[in-house]
Amino acid sequence: MAAVACTAAATLVFLPLRPDFAKGQWALLYLLIVVFVAGIAGVRPAMLSATLSFLAWNFFFLPPYGTFRVEDPKDWLSLLVFLAVGVAMGLQTGRMRERHARAVARERETAMLNRFSSQLVTDPSVPEVARILAEEAREITGAGAAALFIPDDSGTVRALLSWPRDAPILDAETLALASWVHRQSKAIGLPLPPEGTEGQPRDWPVSVNHQAAGAARERRDLFIPLQTPSRQSGVLYVGPVEGAAGQIAHQVALLLALTNQASVFLERKHLQAAVLQAEALKEADRLKSTFMSAISHELKTPLASIIATVSNLLEEDVAWDREGARRELQAVQRDLDRLDESITELLDVSRLEAQAWQPTLDWCEVGEILSVAISRLPPDQRDRVSHVLPADLPAIRVDFQQWVRVLAHLLRNALTYSGAGGRVGVGARAIPNELEVWVEDDGPGIAPDERERVFEKFHRGRTATGSSGTGLGLAIAREIARVHGGRIWVEDVIPHGARFMISLPRAAVSEVTKP
Amino acid sequence: MSAPEKPAKILVVDDDPQIRRALTSILATRKYQVIAAADGAEGLDQAIEHNPDLVVLDMAMPGMSGLEVCRELRTWYTAPILVLSVRGADADKIAALDEGADDYVTKPFSAGELLARVRALLRRASGQAAAAPVVAIGDMEINIAQRRVRRGEQEIELTRTEFDILAYLAQNADTVVTSKMLLEKVWGPEYRDDTQTLRVHVSHLRRKIEPHPSVPRYILTEPGVGFRLATS
Repeated sequence: MAAVACTAAATLVFLPLRPDFAKGQWALLYLLIVVFVAGIAGVRPAMLSATLSFLAWNFFFLPPYGTFRVEDPKDWLSLLVFLAVGVAMGLQTGRMRERHARAVARERETAMLNRFSSQLVTDPSVPEVARILAEEAREITGAGAAALFIPDDSGTVRALLSWPRDAPILDAETLALASWVHRQSKAIGLPLPPEGTEGQPRDWPVSVNHQAAGAARERRDLFIPLQTPSRQSGVLYVGPVEGAAGQIAHQVALLLALTNQASVFLERKHLQAAVLQAEALKEADRLKSTFMSAISHELKTPLASIIATVSNLLEEDVAWDREGARRELQAVQRDLDRLDESITELLDVSRLEAQAWQPTLDWCEVGEILSVAISRLPPDQRDRVSHVLPADLPAIRVDFQQWVRVLAHLLRNALTYSGAGGRVGVGARAIPNELEVWVEDDGPGIAPDERERVFEKFHRGRTATGSSGTGLGLAIAREIARVHGGRIWVEDVIPHGARFMISLPRAAVSEVTKP
Repeated sequence: MSAPEKPAKILVVDDDPQIRRALTSILATRKYQVIAAADGAEGLDQAIEHNPDLVVLDMAMPGMSGLEVCRELRTWYTAPILVLSVRGADADKIAALDEGADDYVTKPFSAGELLARVRALLRRASGQAAAAPVVAIGDMEINIAQRRVRRGEQEIELTRTEFDILAYLAQNADTVVTSKMLLEKVWGPEYRDDTQTLRVHVSHLRRKIEPHPSVPRYILTEPGVGFRLATS
């Protein structure tokens, strides 16, 4: 088209000036046109332009004008040389142009692929990858919408993201086509690979037309499977795509480069998730067996002791006096308290595991919580707890019951580790952005390497004397603190002992202190 | 404390035979007259037949729940209802108090705890506590008629509101008093949801009467429910 137009236009411009130049000079001007056409339109138009110029020069500028006859035999030579030079120049310039265009395209392609892979290096989330991929796909094709379909665990594909957000592409047929592509690992709507692009045809997916995949009629959109040899990871949708088949083929080549990278990335994500899941299962398994042994120990031991004591009381060979029976029953009572405590902790922890732990927030005072926590201790232990709370301590907004649990756990823990008769202290203070509460004992303290691990489930301190609880108390305390946006940690007490610190963020502390 | 002269009649409603047995044993050995029912429907029948002085009602029962029994009972029954709840079922407990239950004991409970609640409820129901002009709590003496509080020889100055709160708690000593009840009684029905105000006044009151105001011993917080004045 360009070739015909340019040559015709040039001829029209040249004609009135025919008398002003020698016939040979027109040949040079026509060569200029051929080079121009080659420059803007490529090899084939350049060839056409060379041929047309050859004819036009002959027809209009070589006497006799208006015919293809040539008077001067020397002109035949000029004509042949003109044709040869025209074709050669057109060919050369056209090739240069195409090479240049290809270089530009490749540069753009490389830049885009670089951008995409550098985004993948930051390990984005799958939805983030979907967003980036869809945006690049639209950028490449100029399509109105793009979407990434990802299979869920049951293998049903769902659109993870469609762009623009409200694009009406997610009709039943589109979804059905995406599912088809996912199941069949075949593309829909791709043109044939562009010619002359080395290596591409090998990677070009098998593609069918829309109707072959079950659509009611042909559509102007593309479905490309994201696949690695081992896995189907999704389907890229782009549509509608306008343009000549050759142009679309180039765009598809780019899309394929993107989807290949995305597939590898998604596969890696998938493997990562699988590894994590396997580790989580292993950990859950380990916890479960620890859990079982903790349960059997913590529930069965006091139970065994109760059964032994009570059955002893029921034996008829001893006439139990009042005092003796009372002593035995007090022992039973202690075992029962321990059983109650263990069962409560196990229930707490299963609630914690189920993530069903929602705090019921209410304003209250640390002292109120502490007094309830102390009342939960065995009566003979309560006097071992001393407390100094500042009178101007601000109120806090927490779940009262849960914080009673936290303090009760810490108190019991401290009472256990400080040994018989050891003292346990409770304190609190408001600091600029937090409120701190602590429980300290004068026991042996906790070794630095254990200070984090004591908060793990079922962890028992090395210095624990005998059996003491399920090993869940501190894990529960940490979880409760976490739910409230607070922290819990252990410090040293000089000369010896451990101090469990809890801090609550300002948001959970009232601005107004008590008058 | 000695058993009342004319033994009080107590209806125990609990589906678990062991708990029923323990409750019956704890109460009967204190010379209360005990009637036991194994489910809600039977409990209602027994209540109509015996018109007990107090009902001990389990919350979690198959069939008719404790809450439903409580609601049903309250259509005609005015004597105290003590509900048994399990730890963690706070919502149930609060619902029961809203339906007219007077107090609760959390399972597992000790005999001492249960008896303290039973005595407090019976005392209040008999009108002794409400009518008493002077209530002694620890070393503190609350003279309701004269609106004066003293610890030993020491007079304690209270504001009018503080005294009203303390007097109401004292008249219901050892029994839970919901925030709503206190707010209605002291401020009036339109203030029944203003728990923040109540909290501030209770805090002031504690500072005046508690030996360690920051760790209260007398005015105990019942989380999510209200307060209880402990006499022991």
